[in-house]
Amino acid sequence: MVARGMASEKEIAARMKSTAGINKITKTMKMVAASKMRGDEDRLKAGRPFQKWVDGFTPPPVLLEDFAKSLDKLPQSNLLVIITTDRGLCGGVNSSLARVMKHMVPALDKEKKDVQLFIVGDKGRATMGRPLGEFITQINSDSGTPYNFSLAAALAQDVTQIKADAVHVVFNRFRSAIAYEATVKTLYPPAALTGEPYVEYEFEPDTKTEVLDDMYEMAIATTMFTSMLESAAAEQSSRMNAMENASKNGEDLIKELSIQYNRARQSRITTELVEIISGASALEG
Amino acid sequence: MLVARGIFQLAARRGVHTTRILASTAPAAADASSGDNLILNFSLPAASIYRNKPVASVVIPGLAGEYGVTKNHSPVIAELKAGVVQIVHETGQAPEKFFVSGGFALTHANSVTDIAVVEAAKLEDIDVEEVPKIYAEAMKDYNAAAEGSKEKVEAQIEVEVAKSLAGALGVALT
Repeated sequence: MVARGMASEKEIAARMKSTAGINKITKTMKMVAASKMRGDEDRLKAGRPFQKWVDGFTPPPVLLEDFAKSLDKLPQSNLLVIITTDRGLCGGVNSSLARVMKHMVPALDKEKKDVQLFIVGDKGRATMGRPLGEFITQINSDSGTPYNFSLAAALAQDVTQIKADAVHVVFNRFRSAIAYEATVKTLYPPAALTGEPYVEYEFEPDTKTEVLDDMYEMAIATTMFTSMLESAAAEQSSRMNAMENASKNGEDLIKELSIQYNRARQSRITTELVEIISGASALEG
Repeated sequence: MLVARGIFQLAARRGVHTTRILASTAPAAADASSGDNLILNFSLPAASIYRNKPVASVVIPGLAGEYGVTKNHSPVIAELKAGVVQIVHETGQAPEKFFVSGGFALTHANSVTDIAVVEAAKLEDIDVEEVPKIYAEAMKDYNAAAEGSKEKVEAQIEVEVAKSLAGALGVALT
């Protein structure tokens, strides 16, 4: 009765049902992600200009792949602040960062450079916790969304207490609803600046070192905050696309399964007909 | 930073939602050479109040005292205290006043001034009657907190902010 290598009618029906169920979930997730992305995009648009005051005295952001190629230019001790997401099912946003880190961090370690990781987001723990555990100094996860400046300020305080010659904030920059790029923004603590920094500026109040320390903390908070906004928007856009693809795949799968189901049903009916007819003709004979 | 966070909490509790109204200001074209104007960037984490906006002058509440900035001001980096930022859009006009939390102001050599603060509200949007209540509550917290504790410092910040707010609005505190 059952054709070789083919599932039974009943099995196919069960698979169709479960695929349709999953399809419903992915479609809903896509719509939820689309609406959340709109909110995150608005927050990002409002928050991006806030980064501008920091950009004036820090090197411009670089793509993570370019950063990973020029490791020899890094100072002796480095703190990598990696902004990942708390939730999964959002395409490659986290794995793309983790993949680069898994190569880069051991490479830096081999060159006898200090590397410390400061991870924001639970998925960073999931992807990097095991392979890079020895380098991780702090993980912050499940702080709730949307991100606010108080959180960024609290994290910045922790970051500034870790001694390093440079702080590299690694995050996914939101470019459009279908594109994001892994980006690195580097900040140098006042202690690591050589010579007389900001020599052309006057300082108010004139306790320059204190002002510089405070300014550095504010700059870290600002950069982390805008990076988190970028990352949140990239997460939702990536999730939207991932769920869109999953829904499409699901539909294709259902189509294929229904063809299989119909074929199995037809062959059963044909077999039954043959049985009846041959039975009847046997009686007649 | 603690100053900034203190006022942030205060602002959140106060619930002044001016940022949405302020965000409507569209970015004007940057033109540093436009007459006697300086270019102002005034932004918060949640909104950008002015972006590349030519203004006549701006008074900034520095930690060491208020100071004014006009075109061709010498470069200065200032840490801000909770106080009033006054923006004079055109010479002779009454200034637009914002009450801001702590933050930073950077005046660059090319007559561009960046002001980055954690929270800001238009002075006229602040409820005058709420200020003494905030002050009284902050004083209560301050007196209740143990000497040298984190709560004491936070309450002290709240007291100072409330005082500064009262000063800006001309409210008498008891």
